[in-house]
Amino acid sequence: MDLTPNGEQIAFQAATADWCRDHMPLEQARARPDGLWDQLEAMGLPRITAPEANGGLALDHATEALVFAELGRVLAPIGLLSSAVANRWCAAPSGGKVALALTVDAPGPLRVLDPVDAAAVLMPQPGSVRVFAISDRPAAHRPTIDLSTMQSRQEWAAAAWIADDIRAPLHLQLLAAAFAVGCADAARDMAAEYAKLREQFERPIGWFQALKHICADMAVRAAVARSQLYYAACALDANEADAAFHVAAAKRLADQAALENGRANIQVHGGIGMTDEAHPHLCLKRAHLLQFIAPAASAALLAA
Amino acid sequence: MDIGFSPAEMRFREECCDWLHANVPVEKRPLDAADAIGFDKAWQRRLFDAGWAGINWPVDYGGRGLSIVQQVIWLEEYAKAHAPWIGANFVGINHGGPTLILNASEEQKAYHLPRILKGEAIWCQGFSEPGAGSDLAGIKTRGRIEGDELVINGSKIWTSFAQVADWQELVLRTEEGSRRHAGLSWAICDMHAPGITIRPIRKMSGLTEFAEVFYDDVRIPLANVVGGLGNGWKVAMSTLSFERGTGFIADQVKQSQEIEELIAAARANGMIKDDRIADSLAQLRAEVAAVRAMTYRNISQVVRSGQPGPEASVIRLFTSELGQRLERMAVMLAGEDLLDFAYGDDNMVQDYLRGFAATIAGGTAQIQRDIIGERLLGLPKSR
Ligand SMILES: Cc1cc2nc3c(=O)[nH]c(=O)nc-3n(C[C@H](O)[C@H](O)[C@H](O)COP(=O)(O)OP(=O)(O)OC[C@H]3O[C@@H](n4cnc5c(N)ncnc54)[C@H](O)[C@@H]3O)c2cc1C
Repeated sequence: MDLTPNGEQIAFQAATADWCRDHMPLEQARARPDGLWDQLEAMGLPRITAPEANGGLALDHATEALVFAELGRVLAPIGLLSSAVANRWCAAPSGGKVALALTVDAPGPLRVLDPVDAAAVLMPQPGSVRVFAISDRPAAHRPTIDLSTMQSRQEWAAAAWIADDIRAPLHLQLLAAAFAVGCADAARDMAAEYAKLREQFERPIGWFQALKHICADMAVRAAVARSQLYYAACALDANEADAAFHVAAAKRLADQAALENGRANIQVHGGIGMTDEAHPHLCLKRAHLLQFIAPAASAALLAA
Repeated sequence: MDIGFSPAEMRFREECCDWLHANVPVEKRPLDAADAIGFDKAWQRRLFDAGWAGINWPVDYGGRGLSIVQQVIWLEEYAKAHAPWIGANFVGINHGGPTLILNASEEQKAYHLPRILKGEAIWCQGFSEPGAGSDLAGIKTRGRIEGDELVINGSKIWTSFAQVADWQELVLRTEEGSRRHAGLSWAICDMHAPGITIRPIRKMSGLTEFAEVFYDDVRIPLANVVGGLGNGWKVAMSTLSFERGTGFIADQVKQSQEIEELIAAARANGMIKDDRIADSLAQLRAEVAAVRAMTYRNISQVVRSGQPGPEASVIRLFTSELGQRLERMAVMLAGEDLLDFAYGDDNMVQDYLRGFAATIAGGTAQIQRDIIGERLLGLPKSR
């Protein structure tokens, strides 16, 4: 039993954080440079757990979750989630970006996230994931509330491929939880930094307990969610019988941390926190988007 | 990262489980401190004789010298087996002993540690005073040095198990005219010494588990000071780090038991069909799981670096508030039964009322939030 990252994991995590700072900072989330996806592919980020036969790194979910939390911190493209799952579970590699469709119970219109330049669409379902051909036109792309994520609509098509493995949708839920943990971290750090810099009443606002305790609660939520994320990733790696519960718990806590921290961050910033120019709203909006991706249902959390 | 245990650890877990199943007393632990003391001492002695006391304490002082991971495994099995609360041995086992291991002289350790482990010596904690609660540095109880003795005058309050204790972790002012954190010492006080008066205080649950303690020219050997005269603040902080840190693993493990019982109860009485209750229970179950994950992460950190990370304060705060949410849920599921509560009852209302201590004792939730804001996030100190 060891729930601290090992040397290799820390190195991968740090390298990802460094790369993100230089090439994919949060501050530029709403306008990512052309060719970013190719760079992500070159780094192997959509293929961390994919088998070597799929050009993957064949690493474990724990390592991938750590790295995805770093990616989530800078509000990395949502397509990374679906691509990572497709590359891991799809026998025939798609060879490009895979967009993410929100789950619908029966055939009908689909809401597709991050369709830009995608080669296919992945949709999670209870116990399986489906991959469809993408059938959209770039002209039909519309923004979402999350200014870093576009969307499109498409009809439910015959699946090009179905992964009937319970672990495939859990994998997506785990990665979405990792993104949410990163998002919660980003809001916490932004708030704490601002609370040290901004002065009122001749002292940093973080001196005041009313704000200090808001920030402390942000730290608690982020730590709680991160710990459960690690545990869930390990449970999935070990194929534990209760992995589905632990992944659902991770998603539930991470979603809450991202949303509550996102909200608190705006309060800590005061007026500037409400502006388009400042960054807090980017975290809040990403948090709202993540709530819709593989949400953790009560039933999954109460299952024996 | 992995959550698996080694074959040796799994064998150890089986040993724990087997012994507990054969030995956990069928009779319930009496509730009040005075009634429970015999039970607590006998149970601790039984644990010691079977080699389950001080699993990760040094062998030289009666411990087993095993790893903290094995200690956690023991506590997990302990909770699963519904073994009794550690009760009056809490202070000695969870923070008195560990403070001595870290700070005391060889003589002090050789004398006290085996007695703590055997349940022969009950310890209590004399930190808080009427005028010094959250602001511990406001301590006024004085110790005047006379030859090779300390002569103590003053009073302490909220001292849990004072009325049944043999020894006390006593923090007092040994330098006349000193202020705040300076001039304090951490001493081992004999609770049977002449000049000590103990006035038990009844809690809102009806129990008298804590007391006020008055010191009237109480004489103890100067050699009872731990960690050097005037170093009391530093030693007291190590005590608090044990109290707030690994000392609470047992409670955390118990929560995973409690949530399963709550879910079973809600299924049995049909209240789980209410979506809001189902969702609250689902939420609590996720939070309880996260507490275990946090504990494992913290323990891994201790194994790796020798000390718990600053996140220990996060675990403590989250666990204490989660415990209260669980107790509230239990009371809610009990419905009108709440109204029948009478002093001395040993049920979920008792637990609910006692549970208020979790965010007060050992540093309030507000003080914990200050610590998290300042030490973890680097915000400016407000005190
Ligand atoms: C069941 C129980 C058992 C205990 N056992 C022991 C024991 O064995 N030994 C021992 O020494 N002590 C013990 N205590 C005492 C405990 O440590 C103190 O109660 C605690 O430190 C708070 O001190 P206080 O009660 O004086 O409250 P106060 O410090 O007066 O606090 C009152 C309220 O004000 C808040 N407050 C105070 N200062 C600040 C601040 N700077 N910022 C924000 N809010 C603040 C507190 O959070 C609290 O809500 C026990 C307490 C309880 C409830």
